[in-house]
Amino acid sequence: MSETLVIVGASLAGGGAAATLRQEGFDGRVVLIGAEQQPPYERPPLSKEYLRGEFPFERVLVQPSDFYDENGIETRFGVRATRVDAAEKVVELDGGERVAYDKLLVATGGRNRRFRIPGMDLEGIYSLRTVADSDRIRAEISPGRRAVVVGMGFIGSEVAASLRQSGVDVVVVDRNEVPLRRVLGEEVGRVIEGIHRDHGTSMIFEDTVAAFEGVGRVERVTTARGRRIECDFVVVGLGVEPVTDFLADTGAEIDNGVLVDEYLRTGVEGIYAAGDVANHYHPVFGRRIRVEHWQNALKQGPAAARNMLERGEPYVEIPWFWSDQYEHNLQYAGFHTEWDELVVRGSMEERNFVAFYRKDRRVLAAVAVNRGRDLRRSIPLIKAREPIDAARLCDLNIDLRELASVAGAR
Amino acid sequence: MAGFVAVGRAGDLEEGGMRAFDVRGVRIAVAYVNGTFHAFDDTCTHMGCSLAEGDLEETTVICPCHGSEFDVRNGAVLQGPAREPVETYEARVEGDNLEIKG
Repeated sequence: MSETLVIVGASLAGGGAAATLRQEGFDGRVVLIGAEQQPPYERPPLSKEYLRGEFPFERVLVQPSDFYDENGIETRFGVRATRVDAAEKVVELDGGERVAYDKLLVATGGRNRRFRIPGMDLEGIYSLRTVADSDRIRAEISPGRRAVVVGMGFIGSEVAASLRQSGVDVVVVDRNEVPLRRVLGEEVGRVIEGIHRDHGTSMIFEDTVAAFEGVGRVERVTTARGRRIECDFVVVGLGVEPVTDFLADTGAEIDNGVLVDEYLRTGVEGIYAAGDVANHYHPVFGRRIRVEHWQNALKQGPAAARNMLERGEPYVEIPWFWSDQYEHNLQYAGFHTEWDELVVRGSMEERNFVAFYRKDRRVLAAVAVNRGRDLRRSIPLIKAREPIDAARLCDLNIDLRELASVAGAR
Repeated sequence: MAGFVAVGRAGDLEEGGMRAFDVRGVRIAVAYVNGTFHAFDDTCTHMGCSLAEGDLEETTVICPCHGSEFDVRNGAVLQGPAREPVETYEARVEGDNLEIKG
């Protein structure tokens, strides 16, 4: 009897997994379930090209909308999975449908972190995760309007840039000293701050929102330090949390996402996870990491699908992402939470550099501003996990690929 | 009918090297791989970055901005985020000159 493979989460990871199952020759039943109305689409343009009206929605679809029918993939779009019964191997859906599975892939991603700030229910306050969110923000955009962006992580920074590029006056409020402080640290954050400053974004640091005020609709933001910022709308970017509630009864271990091993398997027989929701044991870093970026969803969904077909491939891709802000291209590769030295190759002043996050002389991660070629050439250095001389990393006459081959050969 | 345009000396490109040229107002990249010149649009179809500023691995060119990969022999997308192929052009060596049909 042929198997039924069910994917919860019609996302980049989930849609890619469904396509992979067919490409790999699986001819059993495939069911793709997603809470959003749309077929799987890519999210990076939602804060950039799509938000600015430069890309139509069709251009962000993972597959053309007739792909799923044509490949015999059953879909339930606009339907939320509410519970998984791991003993009976059934997914329960909003509306009462029960879908039996032999294997289940969880690719539900994240939802915007809930925050409690007085006045947050006023009209004109948005967060950004879905295409519907992006549409709502886009409808507020017109030159000369005033926006407050709360939080200057990647989403906040990109939205602020897109709003400025669309002629909106922007004030950002962030609790740290610089943008992207938590991920990139203070030195690189200063560079990003300078870029935003040069494009006329006002930034308020080391302050937090105390309340949103207005009659029915937001009219101003007040801060803990007593500022009052008049505005026409607000975008809140305070991060996401993985969507795992529906797994509560399965016995799958939840800790900052669903815990999976290097093969993307949970501890529950037949249940896998991939993408933003998966807290994955990464063999290169020797620890669990959860990555909320495009490339991870793009590659991990298909990897999980192959492992559902018993391919037995550990997932070892080095995390990588980009963030375009104004005319600048930022890229990051690797994974780091702490570092003891930042080694800079190129010029921060000229906004053309790669900065290496090192610990014990090993490169854990690298971030590049307008220096993408070197960023890509850093990935083998990160994989090698060998001590590398800082002077050589900085020497622009040395091709990073040479350092990688030396490090790898040792 | 567009004909061949000389863009530079063929000997200036090393094996495994890449360079972009202006050919009648279009930026065209040339990659020299295994003794063959491959000419293609320098402008990535995803967001317009210069492919010649990226890396060349065998016959694959990798965009420096977002990692899209194209086959330099036929322009096909090998890896997104780009979805559309890049245009390719005929390239030839006449005497010392590298010529592109643009």
